[in-house]
Amino acid sequence: MNHSAVDQAQKAIGCAMSRRKFLGCLAASGLLAAFPGALLRPLEARAQGGFQEGLEMFRNACPRNCYDTCSIKTFVKDGVIQYIEGAPESTFTDGGLCVKGYAYTRRPYSPDRVKYPMIQSGRGSGNWKRISWDEALDVIAKKFIEINEKDGSMLGLALSKYSGNFGITNYGVEGMMTSLGYTSRFVGTPCWPAGIDAQNYDLGDMWCNDPEDLVNARYIILWGANPAWNSVHSMKYILEAQDRGAKVVCIDPVFTQTAAKADVYWEVETSMDGALALGMARHILDRELHDREWVRNNSLGFEDFADYLRREVTVDWAAEQSGIPAEQITRVAEEFATAKPASIWIGYGMQRHVNGGASVRSVDALVAMTGNVGKAGGGARYGHLRTWGFNYHALLQKRPEGAVGFLGTGGPMGDFDFTGDVQDEYTDRPLNMNKTAEEILTADDPPVRVLWVSCKNPLSQDFDRNKMVRAFQKPELIVSVEQYFTETVALSDIVLPVTTLFEEWTVNVSYWHYWMSINEQAIKPMYETKSNIEIAAALSKRMNELQPGSCTFPTDIDTKDWLAREFNQGIYDLFGISSWEELKNGPVKAKMHPASWHDLQFGTPSGKYEFRSELCAEHGHQALPKFKEGRKPYDKLRLLTPHTKFGIHSQFVNIDWMEEFNPEPFCYLNPKAASERGIKDGDQVRVFNKIGEVRLEVKLTEVVPPDVVMMYTAWFRNNPYNCQNLVDDEASDMGAYKTGMPGVAIHGQFCDVARA
Amino acid sequence: MNNMELSLVFFTVLSQAAIGLVILSSVRQLALEGPAGNVRMEWLAAAILLLVGMLASLFHLGHPLGAPRALTHLGTAWLSREALGVGLVLGLMVLGFITAREAVKPGLALAAGAVGLLALFFMGMTYAPPGYPALSNALPLVFFLLTAAVLGTAFSSYFAPAEKKPLLARILGVSLLVALVVYLVVPLVWLSGGTVMQQTGTAYLTSPLYWTRIIIGLAIPLYAIWRSGSISFWVPPVILFGELIGRVAFFSLSVHASANIGGL
Amino acid sequence: MRKQLGFYVDAKRCIGCFTCAMACKNQYLQDTGVIWRQVYPLKTEIYPHRERAFYSLACNHCANPTCLNVCPARAFYKRDQDGIVVHEQDKCIGCGNCIRSCPYGAARYNPVLKKAEKCSFCWERIDAGQQPACVLSCPVDALRLIDLAGFEEPNAVQYPPGFPRFPSLNPSVRFRVATTPTIIRRSRT
Repeated sequence: MNHSAVDQAQKAIGCAMSRRKFLGCLAASGLLAAFPGALLRPLEARAQGGFQEGLEMFRNACPRNCYDTCSIKTFVKDGVIQYIEGAPESTFTDGGLCVKGYAYTRRPYSPDRVKYPMIQSGRGSGNWKRISWDEALDVIAKKFIEINEKDGSMLGLALSKYSGNFGITNYGVEGMMTSLGYTSRFVGTPCWPAGIDAQNYDLGDMWCNDPEDLVNARYIILWGANPAWNSVHSMKYILEAQDRGAKVVCIDPVFTQTAAKADVYWEVETSMDGALALGMARHILDRELHDREWVRNNSLGFEDFADYLRREVTVDWAAEQSGIPAEQITRVAEEFATAKPASIWIGYGMQRHVNGGASVRSVDALVAMTGNVGKAGGGARYGHLRTWGFNYHALLQKRPEGAVGFLGTGGPMGDFDFTGDVQDEYTDRPLNMNKTAEEILTADDPPVRVLWVSCKNPLSQDFDRNKMVRAFQKPELIVSVEQYFTETVALSDIVLPVTTLFEEWTVNVSYWHYWMSINEQAIKPMYETKSNIEIAAALSKRMNELQPGSCTFPTDIDTKDWLAREFNQGIYDLFGISSWEELKNGPVKAKMHPASWHDLQFGTPSGKYEFRSELCAEHGHQALPKFKEGRKPYDKLRLLTPHTKFGIHSQFVNIDWMEEFNPEPFCYLNPKAASERGIKDGDQVRVFNKIGEVRLEVKLTEVVPPDVVMMYTAWFRNNPYNCQNLVDDEASDMGAYKTGMPGVAIHGQFCDVARA
Repeated sequence: MNNMELSLVFFTVLSQAAIGLVILSSVRQLALEGPAGNVRMEWLAAAILLLVGMLASLFHLGHPLGAPRALTHLGTAWLSREALGVGLVLGLMVLGFITAREAVKPGLALAAGAVGLLALFFMGMTYAPPGYPALSNALPLVFFLLTAAVLGTAFSSYFAPAEKKPLLARILGVSLLVALVVYLVVPLVWLSGGTVMQQTGTAYLTSPLYWTRIIIGLAIPLYAIWRSGSISFWVPPVILFGELIGRVAFFSLSVHASANIGGL
Repeated sequence: MRKQLGFYVDAKRCIGCFTCAMACKNQYLQDTGVIWRQVYPLKTEIYPHRERAFYSLACNHCANPTCLNVCPARAFYKRDQDGIVVHEQDKCIGCGNCIRSCPYGAARYNPVLKKAEKCSFCWERIDAGQQPACVLSCPVDALRLIDLAGFEEPNAVQYPPGFPRFPSLNPSVRFRVATTPTIIRRSRT
């Protein structure tokens, strides 16, 4: 909370109360203000129930793969959602949501929603026909039995699922696959894998400080992160730190909205973050501003790192590589090293490169050498999964008796792999999520015969869309579980309507903040929608009718009951509750120290911070956080496809409410690049490269450098725009260690632009 | 205003024509020697024009049945006053028509003229809101007075006796000339104003609507009158057409202040 | 001075996230095309970086509201207790006069109801002791509720560049202007 702002408001209205109460005070006027404690309680009570008559309040949580994972209060009247608010119990959400969150009210009632199971004759034909759940599941179950008989295993069934719904019970989709036998799984993550591995090599886990602890920082570097768009609730802590005197530096190839709120903005050369960090490290070393004692007591290989810096890194070299003037590098390096505590937020954008993991390691090293790891107000903040210790009851299913699978792998099955260490004779067949199109086209023995898509929109979000369109012609059956007729649904055979967050029970935690929120069923499922686990149960029922024992998934489930089964004593202890029912009173925060690694017991093989990681070397990378080159340009301009503030991945931009504020896609081009190409503001342009092209309107702006074309990842319901026409599936350096597959160089992409 | 507001176009133009008509009729009757012409039919025509205009205005309302409510805010709302004024004029016109024999009673004619002018003033104020900086001034009143003068005179020629027609032609010629000058100068003046006025000026000068109105509604009739010295039978409808086009321009080309929020 | 509630728009803190605008739609479920609160980007003549500084604006609940003055049907009233300008839709006849008149574009036409409507300042929420939906929603406290009767903030301005100046209306909104960071561009060849 920004106290100064509240103080000002309180001063303005002449009463001193908490922010939540001050409006009550406002309304209560002078007489009431004399007895605020007693007389405002009824107003508070009314506030809990909303301002209208007859409202019921339910707890929900946004499950959308976002830092903020907001806790929601949903107000329902006569079974219909009236409006939603952020839960004030969470200091992180503080009563508010974001532009996407507030659009949720529209989602269950959207006229565009998938309402019934439907079948399409001819993928992409649009020739959809409504069918019953029984018919749909019959087609699917018979196909499953057919491929199992044909191949002798279920490996011909592949699951494409990622982060469309992070509600814990939605791991029931993986559970459903397990209960059918050994299947093929798209493994990995396009999101943050290189950085996860980097932090694991350096620190032994990915574990960030509490974001609310940002207020304690005296110096903050926002490195490739744009919280003003992608973690709006974190911004208040940054602004508060700034108000308390902290300096905020934003390093980004683009002058983002976050950059506009910083004290200093550095327009770094894309993918040269590692060089910049190493240049700063070299200067800190030269000035002996590093924390010798911290390094001596808590790290491994610092001298090797120092030798490397002295031998191969200079500030001038870093300046040349990154484009940031040497005197800037030295100034900020000195300021960062002397401000205590100082923190760096490492954004996911900066690791989406062929050198992304190496760059994150260089930034980690900068934070560690200044002794800012393990301190409140410090930290190399990237993300964490420390609050995710659920039972994964929905996920952990038995295989059917006699199931046969894949031999020879046992690596992690993704960033959220909670399967534990059970080693069977067989495993599922891992396919690289980041090369989904390639894997569908080339997987053999058996090929991908059936593709099950849930919580994901590969045609909009996965790479090399033209190849993906080809790949989607190959499977014999494609089933999509969806809320909307996405581009992926358009190329599917069957679509099954899935519930929104308001229509099912589940529980959510964040990979950023420390809060946990229950997600209650606030309204009855609309139309014929079912939750993912209800779909699994219905499918299991049909499978067992056709072939008893072919599916071990329970055939009758209650989402509330399944939610309850996710909890265990560890979770209760961590969050200081004795029953999940307590979450009905509001979200709770993990009783964790605000500083990650505060006990300085690192998870690395040595138990120390490892500047030199032998594990990293074993995995084929450099042992030291050395500089690594980015991807060589293959076209004239760099293509950046970050997130828009109006959506997350392919979600939300399609909602008619969002269209009111963001009706069409644009690309952003520097006037210099535009004038060289005879392009004027507002022109229709063609952005193209070796794999495809898109056409859209251009906005000329110096927020992007002259060598960059920027456009946002989004799916519009009435516009064919798709940035994945231009993004190939080039792998990033790291990710395989902890997420099963390397990441993708999403920002290591190039293109050119011309008037359409 | 990004729509043409056709109902308001018809309402304003027709009511201004009607008011102009009774004023010209009264002037002929009271201030000039000789026969006044077919005054009774003239007042009937005016009343019909005004009635059609008022009916058109109802279609502008989201809820036409709520029209009587429009009279409830005479205290500050120019629109209420306009509705009252126009209603009164209509009443006087009907009364004039009913009571007229050779001529309308002088008191009644005077009253109709005066209330008509007052109604024009109310209208001028109604369409000069803060939302349209280019129009939030006396210009709408000037435009409306010119419309009343031009159309009133033009249609008056149908009812005037032959000996008074040359005078009407002179009045119309002068009115058209003044209107032409005003309409040519105003957009140029806007160009020297604030951003929204400039945008309005540019919108006018680059719009075919504006030039159609200048040429068909003003220049051609003026030329015809100058050449013939009289108001040919075809001239009044052409002027009416020009005024209607001009009013469409008035409503559709003016830029709203909110369009420039975020700009200087 | 009498109590007059208003909005404080802190463009220095505002991140242009449109949360306030959507929070309003969430609260009132306006029909398509009807927007009570809009987030206006400042043009580069005012803030040098495109779409990086904003004013979040709804009805300004003016001291002298033109909508109220021009409404022929008395569909507006200004609350004595806090100066909120309320539009009563059941009295509205859909003449559009308020829409034409308000220079801030606050009143909007609802094509479904064929009536005007505008930001209510969430007076029902205010009366229930709650904040307006937009104010509550702002993740960075850049949109705040103020009482102009006691408002003294030295840096606040009523008519910053980009906000139309209509002193005769005396809009109940105050601003803090946006700032820019020190910008270090890459050396360009």
